[in-house]
Amino acid sequence: MALSKVGVVATAQTEFRPAWNNAQHIDLISSVVTSVFKGSGLTIDDVDFIIDSGSDVLDGRSISNCGFLGALGAHHKEEARVEEDGLWAALYGVNKIRSGSSSVGLIVAYSKPSESNVDLYWNAQVEPFYQRPVGFGQRAANGILAQRYLAESGLSRRDLADLVAERWAAAATSGKVAIDDLPDADAVLAAEEGAAPLTELMFARPVDGAVAVLIAREDIARRVSRNPAFITGMGTSMDTHSLAAREAGRLSSAATAAATAAAMAYRNAGWASADADIAEISGSSVIGELLAIEALGLAEAGKGLSAARDGKVAINRSGGALPADPIMATGLVRLAEASRQLSQPELFGGGAPRRAIVHGAGGVAMQNNCVFTLEV
Amino acid sequence: MFSAPDSYPIDLPTFHSEINLPYTLTPGRAAGTFLAEVKNRRIVASRFASGQVVAPAQDFSSTGGEEPEAFVEAPHTGVLTAFTRVDGQVIGFIRLDGCDNDFPHRILAELDDLSIGQRVEAAWDDSVEQSILAVKGFKPAPDAPLGTVKPLETMEEPLGVIPYAMKLDYEHAYGPYYGRMFDEIRENGRFMGVRSPGSDVALLPPREIDDVAHSRTGTWKACEDTGTIRGCSIINMEVYGQTRKVPYVYAEIVLDGASTRMIHVIEIDSLEEAKEKIKPGTRVRAVWTQGERKGRVSDIERFEVIEE
Repeated sequence: MALSKVGVVATAQTEFRPAWNNAQHIDLISSVVTSVFKGSGLTIDDVDFIIDSGSDVLDGRSISNCGFLGALGAHHKEEARVEEDGLWAALYGVNKIRSGSSSVGLIVAYSKPSESNVDLYWNAQVEPFYQRPVGFGQRAANGILAQRYLAESGLSRRDLADLVAERWAAAATSGKVAIDDLPDADAVLAAEEGAAPLTELMFARPVDGAVAVLIAREDIARRVSRNPAFITGMGTSMDTHSLAAREAGRLSSAATAAATAAAMAYRNAGWASADADIAEISGSSVIGELLAIEALGLAEAGKGLSAARDGKVAINRSGGALPADPIMATGLVRLAEASRQLSQPELFGGGAPRRAIVHGAGGVAMQNNCVFTLEV
Repeated sequence: MFSAPDSYPIDLPTFHSEINLPYTLTPGRAAGTFLAEVKNRRIVASRFASGQVVAPAQDFSSTGGEEPEAFVEAPHTGVLTAFTRVDGQVIGFIRLDGCDNDFPHRILAELDDLSIGQRVEAAWDDSVEQSILAVKGFKPAPDAPLGTVKPLETMEEPLGVIPYAMKLDYEHAYGPYYGRMFDEIRENGRFMGVRSPGSDVALLPPREIDDVAHSRTGTWKACEDTGTIRGCSIINMEVYGQTRKVPYVYAEIVLDGASTRMIHVIEIDSLEEAKEKIKPGTRVRAVWTQGERKGRVSDIERFEVIEE
């Protein structure tokens, strides 16, 4: 028997805010879990399993999903937690359905970085004997990638700031991200130093929020959804922990794991990056996004900026991760955004997009990468 | 349009919480030897069968996974291969002379004075032992002669374990449901839950969605501060993180009017008497803390058995 095809039936997400001060995790989670069913005809009773994603360190409690089960709708259901970005939770769920063991799954990811110290969260991820004491972490790693990227690509900090400003403007247009003051390129350049040569606004902004994605076997997806996007390829690849050992200094391979993950996904799908209409990409900084664009084959090494801004593929029309990075949910949000853009093109400027690339990342300097292909 | 939880502005500030985790980290042979040797001002590196030398020492190649054939002594000089600045501190990648890898460390210079490829040398801090910070950082050394990797004939015993502590701070949001519950505890000294869908018993703590039915919960309801024990255990063992002196009873109590168990404590004088009297089905009442209530579960000091 051939493997089942899996479709995205429905998605729901909260507004992404710098801080949801008046809601706790379960409030955000139950909000998306109740609304994801609206209009689908399905209910929580139809769901065979729930896979969720979040970080114990960010949440401030061990095995935090145990306390969130009720809000997740997981009472007496099969439930598993993936301690990685929600796109890996989706990968887990898709494989459960493809194997024939289940037919409907709910994927949920949530994040409240406002409740903790994001720098400490990243520090907890680096090696404790040689790296943590000297202050090497997520920010320093991105600063070093940026120094190399600017030197090798010939781009200026102003070029980076222009892209950041465009991403924030796109997020403001989408209406899904809370933005008090929309920064222009000058504001991006004038922001405080995050890790030289990057300013703080050149880093992805941590935000609170939750996202739910309902996936189902092909026949169910076609029955309940008007124009479902199908997941046709998936790949994942992990790089070495030591950033310095990741093909040091060579841009073309600075994001090798992302390229490997993409190659796996494209092989499944039977098409390649040039055939995509849409891409939703994660990046822990503007440099991370450019490196990912190049690793996914959407641009040559050092040429990610032109592809990001006016390439043939619509990249991060949602604004991507720079204005809104709900850590651990960011990749699943990309999946939700891309599937809506494919399923409901009339809400996104029309046209007839057919294929999308979705990218999620985890770890210091995007050590771990996951890539999906979507088709309608 | 996005989904939004049933929320409104809350007067209560966030709930401050700290997690302090004590660890004894095991550095293993390579890092353990490196950390033991810094007091002798030696930088221990690993030499692999391929001839590659990696500093600081590693038990495995981070790319190929193979084990080193020997520990060697790396020189104190090298070149700067990349750098950035975080919170005013310059951090760079250093490649020591004769070594094949880069590693991060502090750079003791102003960012604007640095350039890739420039010579640097280790600056030692005699007050630090058993840490990579025994090397305070690397300072520019334009004229430093090229160092060489040397064999390490004798070496210190590797450190076995290193005490370590991780402290994490949190500011948890209460949300609308917990927010009102704690507010009612503080203002009115009562426990408010919300009704399960289609029933008169309350869920405590209150929540927007019933866990079992996964449907919207009903209206608010005040529960009594008396209840029944539904599960309990006499704690007579001291463990890390305890907030009371043993012995005491950990009790899961269903307050009158509620359907859910709340966890609290019953103080006891005698183990034997406690075994006799405190069991599932025992009726208990809350003993509120004297003085101003703070809007916490600890506003109830303890529960006590209701003598029939």
